[in-house]
Amino acid sequence: MDQKYIINIGRQLGSGGRQIGEKLASKLGISFYDKELIQIASQESGLGKEFFEKFDESNSHSIFGGLFGLRGTFTDEIYSNSYLNNETLFRIQSDVIRKLAEQESCIFVGRCADYVLKDYPRCLNVFITANIDDRIKRVAEKEHMPENKAKDLIEKTDKKRSGYYNYYSNKVWGAAESYHLCINSSLLGIEGTVTFILQLVEKKFSVSAK
Amino acid sequence: MEQNRSPIALGTESVWRLLLQYAIPSVIAMTASSLYNIIDSIFIGQGVGPLAISGLAITFPLMNLSAAFGTLVGVGGATLMSLRLGQKDYSSANQILGNSFVLNILFGLIYTVIVLLFLNPILYFFGASSETIPYAREYMVVISLGNFITHLYFGQNAMLRATGDPKKSMYLTIGSVIINIIFAPLFIYGFKWGIRGAALATIIAQASMLIVQIKIFSNKKSFIHLQKGIFKLKRKIVVDSLSIGMAPFLMNAVSCVIVILINQGLIRYGGDFHVGAYGIINRFAFLFVMIIMGLNQGMQPIAGYNYGAKQTDRVNKVLKYTVLLATGVGTLGFLISEFFPHAVASIFTTDQTLIKLAVPGLQIVFLFYPIIGFQMVTSNFFQSIGQPKKAIFMSLSRQLIFLLPGLLILPQYFGVNGIWYSLPVADLLSSIIAVYMLTTQYRKSTIKL
Repeated sequence: MDQKYIINIGRQLGSGGRQIGEKLASKLGISFYDKELIQIASQESGLGKEFFEKFDESNSHSIFGGLFGLRGTFTDEIYSNSYLNNETLFRIQSDVIRKLAEQESCIFVGRCADYVLKDYPRCLNVFITANIDDRIKRVAEKEHMPENKAKDLIEKTDKKRSGYYNYYSNKVWGAAESYHLCINSSLLGIEGTVTFILQLVEKKFSVSAK
Repeated sequence: MEQNRSPIALGTESVWRLLLQYAIPSVIAMTASSLYNIIDSIFIGQGVGPLAISGLAITFPLMNLSAAFGTLVGVGGATLMSLRLGQKDYSSANQILGNSFVLNILFGLIYTVIVLLFLNPILYFFGASSETIPYAREYMVVISLGNFITHLYFGQNAMLRATGDPKKSMYLTIGSVIINIIFAPLFIYGFKWGIRGAALATIIAQASMLIVQIKIFSNKKSFIHLQKGIFKLKRKIVVDSLSIGMAPFLMNAVSCVIVILINQGLIRYGGDFHVGAYGIINRFAFLFVMIIMGLNQGMQPIAGYNYGAKQTDRVNKVLKYTVLLATGVGTLGFLISEFFPHAVASIFTTDQTLIKLAVPGLQIVFLFYPIIGFQMVTSNFFQSIGQPKKAIFMSLSRQLIFLLPGLLILPQYFGVNGIWYSLPVADLLSSIIAVYMLTTQYRKSTIKL
């Protein structure tokens, strides 16, 4: 297990992606980064957490969204000078991802980590979906909300995440081309999916789980 | 509240030094840009005649519109380019370079076709008269035909800045000004080509710099260079670029509409010479506005970073210093225009009628310039700290919200002077709003602390 490897997990809301990532990380004995990235990015850059949180995985560039997501001055001179614009925050966050990937094997959830680390040879990019009923149930339970509200949240979040991913990366969120493996967690359940992915990791990276 | 200590220079070095460091290159570029416009107008006014300056003023909205389309493509392209370069995604970055190139040519040509097809009706609508239209036509035909060159030149300049070469883009801007200064008098006085000569000099200056830019981007050794395959338009790049560029485009379009209304009002309540006077005043005022914009660009990263790092004392400092400098610039414009308007107007023309109209115009328009520095910096300040909605609102308050009703109502009571009055009135009211918004912002943040 001398060589580092990275697992990047893209996930639909309520698919159990985070859980699967955490279990994988503990079984493999490697670090796990989801929202923790925000804290690290904030520390590294000196910028407040709330700026990263506001921009986190949300859709920043529809035609009219662009109206209010201005960067630079509104003149012929095009100067992306503002530090607090989305692109700069994304770059800071990506630098953090790259730095962590240099240091150790880890698992990243979301945040276009697969695109950020596209030049790293030992990466496994996974996308996790689930049946819509399972997703609704999971979200309703976790967020303590009725199922119809959960469904709305799921639709909204999917839109935000795909907008974010499609803009910052050059790929399409949730499309098979963008990942090495797409798997529906309802098929094998959370534990089953973890085991399945583990087998793939062991094979590809010649590592063994605890 | 804990203050994060950051290692980056923006958070630690002397605010004055940082501001000068960031602002000076921008100010130089902006000044060069506006000087270019002034010099053009001087050659036309002195070398061709007073009606020629009026003709030129009629074309301002068309030039604004062309710039707006350029921005539509350019801002998006530059933003995407920075994004991809930040990820070392050179293949995407090159495609952006190529797509941006093609889009610039495309929009440039569409504009050319539409403007040339409807040139006369457009110019009459913009306030031309039978006296001024021959000049406006002559100028616009050349400018329209060369429009794709203009777009490419500005677009590539933006790309140079996005690829981390702002010095080169600054030199190119200065270079284009110099070439223009050489050729314009040659064409106007030497070859007696009139206003057409001025337009030709502009296009030739841009074309020569464009050749230099293409040479720079042809360097096969650099990561980003022109090559086969990058010119095929990709839907994602086009859609993303245009969405990003939509906002600056609309802001430019707004100022275009305003100039049309001003010229229409001047023709209706005054005459051709009033339009010419506006041509002079607009070009002169633009110089000071551009310098303040340059200062704003210097302030942006400093204010933005320190606001993000919650170092409010530094945020306050940079705001204060920038307002100070901008007020100085505005006041300079005010003093020159209030006390030496005759001298200013005489630079542009020898025609006494034109000068006599430009003098009161200058004095009225520059009336509140000592405070517009504050207004413009504050508006940009909100953008720097990540509150673009407020920034847009404040910008519109000066350029549209108060100006529009003023232009429609005031001339009914004051005749042609009403047009002049509406400008300082808008300046004053928008500055009051700026004070209100800034104090609200400070009250909010002190409560947070």
